Amino acid sequence: MVALFAVWEGAVRFFGIREFLLPAPSAIWAATASVWPTVLQHTLATLGTVLGGFAASVLVSLPLAMLIASSPAVSAALYPLLVVTQSIPKVALAPILIIALGANEAPRIIVTFLVAFFPLVVGTVAGLLATPPELIELGRACRAGRVQELLRIRLPFAVPFVFSGLKVAAALSVVGAVVAEFVGADAGLGYLIQTSMAFFRTPLAYGAVVILALLGILLFQAVALAERVFFPWSSGAAQAPPAA
Amino acid sequence: MIRLDAVGKTFRGRDGVPVEALRDVSLDVAAGEFVAIVGASGCGKSTLLRMVAGLVAASTGTVALDGEAVAGPRAETAMVFQAPTLLPWADVLRNVTFPLRLMRRAGAGTEEKARALLDVAGLAGFESKLPRELSGGMQQRVAICRALVQEPRVLLADEPFGALDALTREEMSLELLRLWAARRMAVLFVTHSIPEAVLLADRVVVMSPRPGRVADVVEVGLPRPRSFDQEASDEFHRCARRIRDRIFGERAARAA
Ligand SMILES: Nc1ncnc2c1ncn2[C@@H]1O[C@H](COP(=O)(O)OP(=O)(O)O)[C@@H](O)[C@H]1O
Ligand SMILES: [Mg+2]
Repeated sequence: MVALFAVWEGAVRFFGIREFLLPAPSAIWAATASVWPTVLQHTLATLGTVLGGFAASVLVSLPLAMLIASSPAVSAALYPLLVVTQSIPKVALAPILIIALGANEAPRIIVTFLVAFFPLVVGTVAGLLATPPELIELGRACRAGRVQELLRIRLPFAVPFVFSGLKVAAALSVVGAVVAEFVGADAGLGYLIQTSMAFFRTPLAYGAVVILALLGILLFQAVALAERVFFPWSSGAAQAPPAA
Repeated sequence: MIRLDAVGKTFRGRDGVPVEALRDVSLDVAAGEFVAIVGASGCGKSTLLRMVAGLVAASTGTVALDGEAVAGPRAETAMVFQAPTLLPWADVLRNVTFPLRLMRRAGAGTEEKARALLDVAGLAGFESKLPRELSGGMQQRVAICRALVQEPRVLLADEPFGALDALTREEMSLELLRLWAARRMAVLFVTHSIPEAVLLADRVVVMSPRPGRVADVVEVGLPRPRSFDQEASDEFHRCARRIRDRIFGERAARAA
C-alpha cells in the first residue's frame, strides 16, 4: 500500500503529469484536507445513505429468503422477479425513482438497497437449503413444526452464509449510494466527485474516491467483527461446513 | 412394547420406479429388551428404525408402541444417528438439552441431568465446548447423551458407532451397556459388526437383502453384565457363526 503510493507520487513528479489528469497523493491529501469540514459533511451524508440502504437490505432480505426457502413454489414465483430487479441498470432507475418519490433520501436508499440486497437473499437461501438432512430429521424426531424447524435449525445453520451475504452487501451498499448520488443529490461523496470533476478539481475527486474505499473497508470489517463477536462458531464455517 | 406386524415399505424412487425396501417384517420387542439388527447395506435397517421413530409411514402392516399405532414422532422414543448430527452453533450442553428444549419439556432439572449424563460419558469439563472442538468419538457420545437425557422408553440407534475406530467403538459399546443397564429402556440397535451385535444384544435380528425381511432371530444366551472376555465363550461363537452363516450363506447361494 505504502509502496504503491510512493511509486504513484514518484511517477507523477518524474513524468510531470498534469494535476487534472492524475494528481499525486500529496496533492490529493492537500486538496482534501484544505476543505475538510465540507468533505466531512459529504462523507456523513453518504454514510447515512449507505447505512440506510444496508439496513433496508437486511430487513427485506432475511424474511424474503425465509419465504423463498419455505417452498419450491414460492421460490419459482419470486426468484424471476428478483432477477429482473438485478438486470435493470440502477443508474437508469435512479432518475425515475427521484421523479416518483421526490428529491429526498428515500430514492437514494431504495437505489442502494436494490444494488446491495440480492447477494444477501441468495446467500441466505443457500444457507437455509444447505442444512444437512440429518439435522432436519433430528428436528422432526423432536416433533418440531415447520416454523420451529426454520427458526431453531435452518436459520442458525444459515448464519455463516448470511454473513457472507452481509459482507458483499456492505461493500455493494457503498457502490449503490454513490450511484444514487451521481444521479440525484445535493450532498454526498458521489455528488462531491461530480462537482469536483466539473470544475477540474481532480485531486478533490480522488480524495472522495479514497474516502469511499475506506468506507467500504470499514463497513466490511464491522460486519466481520460482528460475526466474530456474536457468532464465534460461524467465522470461516461457510467455506468449510462441518462434516455432517 | 414395540410390535411390528407384517410391515412392508415401498419407496417411490426419483425416477418413479418403486423400490421395495421391506417386506413382511414382524417383530416384537419387550420393554427393556436390547435387540440388535444386522444385515447387508440397503436391506432396510434404517428404514425400519425410522418407521418405529415415526419418521416414515409403513406402506403395509402396522407399527405399534404399547398397542398404539405409531403415526408420528413420539416423546418416548429417541434416536441416535450414524453421524453425531450435532448443532454446530451450540455447545455440548446445549446440544444435549436441545431436544427437550425443542419439545418444551426442559425443566429446572434438565441441565443437571444433562451434566450428570455427560459426566458418565466421560465428557465432564467439555460442557461449553463446540462440537467441532471434539473428536468423532466424543461427538457421538454427546449424541448418545442427547438421546438418553430424554429418558426414552425406546432407544433407536442406527449404526451409532459406525464411524468410530475399533478401540473407541469397543469402549463405547460397554459404556452404552452400562447406561442401558441403569435405565432399562427397549433398544433397537443397528450395526454392521456381528461381534458387537452378539456382545450387546439379548436377541439379534438378521435381515436378508432386497427386499428386507427377517431371515433369522438369534437369542444370545450370554449372562449379563457383558464383557469382552465373553468373546472367547462357546455361546458367543455359536451366535456369531449362526449370524454369519445366515448373512453369507444367502450371499453364497445368490452367487451360485
Ligand atoms: N427416502 C427414500 N426414498 C427412496 N428410496 C429409499 C429411501 N430411503 C431408503 N430408500 C431405499 O430403501 C432401501 C433400504 O434403505 P435403508 O433403510 O437405508 O437400508 P440400510 O439402512 O439397511 O442400509 C435402499 O434400497 C434405499 O435406496
Ligand atoms: Mg442405514
